[in-house]
Amino acid sequence: MAEIVDVRRSILEANEAAATQVRGQLARALVVNLISSPGSGKTSLLEATMPAIKDSLSLAVIEGDIATDRDAQRLRALGVPAVQILTGGACHLDARQVLKVLAEGHFQAPDVLFIENVGNLICPTSYDLGEDFKVALLSVTEGDDKPFKYPAIFATAQVTVITKVDLLPYVTFDLDAVKAQMRSLNPTGSILLTSARTGQGLDQWIGMLRSSLDAKRRAPA
Amino acid sequence: MHELGVAMEIYRISRDAVAGHGAGRLESVRVAVGELRAVDPELIKFAWQATVAGGPDAGSELIVDWHPAVQRCETCGADKARDTAGWLPLCPDCASPLRVDGGLELDVLQVSYLREEEERAVSGGVG
Ligand SMILES: Nc1nc2c(ncn2[C@@H]2O[C@H](COP(=O)(O)OP(=O)(O)O)[C@@H](O)[C@H]2O)c(=O)[nH]1
Ligand SMILES: [Mg+2]
Ligand SMILES: [Zn+2]
Repeated sequence: MAEIVDVRRSILEANEAAATQVRGQLARALVVNLISSPGSGKTSLLEATMPAIKDSLSLAVIEGDIATDRDAQRLRALGVPAVQILTGGACHLDARQVLKVLAEGHFQAPDVLFIENVGNLICPTSYDLGEDFKVALLSVTEGDDKPFKYPAIFATAQVTVITKVDLLPYVTFDLDAVKAQMRSLNPTGSILLTSARTGQGLDQWIGMLRSSLDAKRRAPA
Repeated sequence: MHELGVAMEIYRISRDAVAGHGAGRLESVRVAVGELRAVDPELIKFAWQATVAGGPDAGSELIVDWHPAVQRCETCGADKARDTAGWLPLCPDCASPLRVDGGLELDVLQVSYLREEEERAVSGGVG
């Protein structure tokens, strides 16, 4: 007779424990986890954001990629400390990798830490990195059916950014269809429209970041 | 896509759970997997076989309790039937927006463990 042992433990418990430690270490920083498919414009949105806020807020970026430190270089070129995590093929960042970067002391506790996840709409969704919220990016060239095709990320992200809206005149992308899917998947989430090319929507995006940081710092610990 | 990493975590937790139970081998491990967790129920079983192959727990079974997400109508207050992996845009009965609920399970539930002494007793061997 086999012995039955009740376990009831989260499969991701090791990641979750690390995420809790990240939260503890960055209790006064806003931590944003950016998730999208490759090429949706995560790095471009960060590049467009930096000049507008780097004088008033201290910033840091963690870049997750399978290979190359190109994205970290793009941000360092703007004078922002950016650390590249190379996952060597892994499809998502893990909180233990974030914890390791924090321990290496590349930057002082920032006001805002952006974590650009590995380009993938699926796997990063389940891994809490200690962020305050996830941001899902969807570029208008990817098609307006993506929220229902990748429900987990669009249901989980507190903010969805529709990127590259400067290209709307050239593509078939029904914004109302996206909003309808989002109402169902994520009724309390917000949707922003941005273009890193023209700067459209960046004020709202930055306003959202600032008010989230303020709200976090005002909230009782 | 990351089923192998997930399988290795399941294995670590399962072995940890029986650490105080004497020598033996895993017979089966039961896990709960939610639809929204990006873990494929078939791939995770292959990943499990790859994880235990060649070790003391080779041949053990991973049993997956699959938990689909539901779409609930706040207006009529009921879960609406949907096709596997398909989503309803609006409530088929009252056209209200639907809320997605559940499907976030990802837990090791239970381990079935065969202790060495018992196995010897069962097979009639002498100790
Ligand atoms: N037209 C247009 N192109 C953009 C915009 N944002 C990014 N791109 C382009 O999309 C490509 C991928 O952008 P990148 O920021 O590297 O995407 P990531 O892989 O998500 O980090 C690049 O060629 C960018 O120039 C935008 O707002 N408008
Ligand atoms: Mg990038
Ligand atoms: Zn209804």
